[in-house]
Amino acid sequence: MDMEVDENAPQHYVRTAEDVKAIVRHAKMDERQLTQLTQALYYPSANVVSDNLRLLELDEHMLQQIRTGQTLHFKGGLHEKVVLCTDERTYDVKGAEISNSLLLVPDLKFAAATSTSPLKSPRTGNANTSLERSLNDSADDDLEVPRTLEQRQVLTIFHEYFECREIRPRYRKLGELLQLTRYSGPENEYCIERKLLFSFQQLLNTVQCSRAQFVEGLHQYRALEFDGHIRILDYEYEYRIITLMLGLISENSWALDEVEREETIYALQGIAPEPIVAGLFDIYTKPSDRCPNKFKYQESLVARIVAQNILQPGLRFRNDEFMATWQEALPEGMSCKIEYLRGLGILDKEGAQPCVRSLAEEQLPSNINDRMRALFKTKRKWTLEEMEPYIDCFTTPALSVSTLLAKHARSLTEAGTRYFVSKH
Amino acid sequence: MPIIVKTHNAGSGEWAIIELQGDLEVRSNQSMNDQFIGDLYYNKYGQPILIIGHHILQGREQKLEKPFAVLEKSKTNEGHQLLNTTDAMLEASTMNVTEGAERTLLDDTVALEHKSRQRTEYTVRAICSKKLIFKSRPKPIIANVAKTV
Repeated sequence: MDMEVDENAPQHYVRTAEDVKAIVRHAKMDERQLTQLTQALYYPSANVVSDNLRLLELDEHMLQQIRTGQTLHFKGGLHEKVVLCTDERTYDVKGAEISNSLLLVPDLKFAAATSTSPLKSPRTGNANTSLERSLNDSADDDLEVPRTLEQRQVLTIFHEYFECREIRPRYRKLGELLQLTRYSGPENEYCIERKLLFSFQQLLNTVQCSRAQFVEGLHQYRALEFDGHIRILDYEYEYRIITLMLGLISENSWALDEVEREETIYALQGIAPEPIVAGLFDIYTKPSDRCPNKFKYQESLVARIVAQNILQPGLRFRNDEFMATWQEALPEGMSCKIEYLRGLGILDKEGAQPCVRSLAEEQLPSNINDRMRALFKTKRKWTLEEMEPYIDCFTTPALSVSTLLAKHARSLTEAGTRYFVSKH
Repeated sequence: MPIIVKTHNAGSGEWAIIELQGDLEVRSNQSMNDQFIGDLYYNKYGQPILIIGHHILQGREQKLEKPFAVLEKSKTNEGHQLLNTTDAMLEASTMNVTEGAERTLLDDTVALEHKSRQRTEYTVRAICSKKLIFKSRPKPIIANVAKTV
């Protein structure tokens, strides 16, 4: 940047080559030991509104996103801490105050750019014999390069910068919002508050996560687009439709990986709106590995919706009874596994009879302290694996479940098994 | 609405940071805008030397482990000033024209429907990936003693 000096403001001193010569002499610096360029620095201009400038610390991923011209987004609602999102990741943003001054200087030249000859390596310079050094120096003596002077204005001085820490996407709000307008068939739509229906873009704008994570989140909540709005279904309704869809397997004597999309949608005409059926189909199935253009239901998802229908909130079952009922309700060839209950229910082995009880992750407090209290109230001692589904949402790339438990719970070992119990 | 940070043509700008321990201070209260600070030299080994007034500072060039992006507000939200982080949060939520009543999580989102628009925008002006750091104490420059003594 060429220094913009206001001609009409003679009170501002501008550095000259003579001044530079004088100060070099005055400071007793050997001019031959300096590179040719002197850069004179000036305070920021009054025109710069320093409040409009921010320093943001970047990690590799963010840097690469910026370099490739991707847009970043700050997101946060009224009572939320602001986050920064790239297209793929979410970061917590925190201001860091420092006592040092950071002078931001556009176009400042670093050492290498100020020297016509390559810079000497300091190590050779110090360690080498004085012979080589004097040889070099005398060579420099011969060609006396004139000193040049360039003016550089500091754009602004920072005492603060913004640090970013990658965090997990915050889906909770998405879940809570979708919860309010659960779809349960066209006949019940009159009960739905239209104001609480949101489009993909509206939700993306408000949910604190990146676009890629948002799409992933919609998938996790089994949300689909209906009438321009993102909806999740009422559990019982979803269960009913899925049961009908699964019924087609035996009705048409399909193998589990021979499910037909068009046929399924056609068969449910008049029972549920087509976008709902098609949406559910796409959420619940994967393309078949064996047959082209055919599909296969995902066992884990089917097992979950069935389990959810049995394991209503507040209920508990004897383990063996529950597993039998659950297995019975699944299509032939699918099997239930206790891990499919992740975040829905827990296996409690403390009583005389091991039992399965409902414990929905989405209904627990969103604050980690409150959640820990709630968890230990439900069950006295937990293994790490049992707690993981309920604590996972608090983890960050730097904070694992074990770290969180070490902080918020007490661990003890009973008969070789490590348990976590309440701290208090 | 989210605050957009535009990044196009940010790849080209590469700005420098000069880090000084403490603050630059002047005795008088006069405005320092556009005033001369000092001279920056490099010796043949690439070491930066900064002369400010009667002080000489020796520093070194350092690659920033985490580079900085310089964000500049490129659009304001109708005279709404961004001052610090907390303001950045407020800005992000100006969409919520709430009336002091009990606010719940929902307000944030119901307000989405009210479509008050977020116009603030930032642009990445440049990336800083290197700095000159001056950590050592400034040394005074002692004028030559008169030769006649």
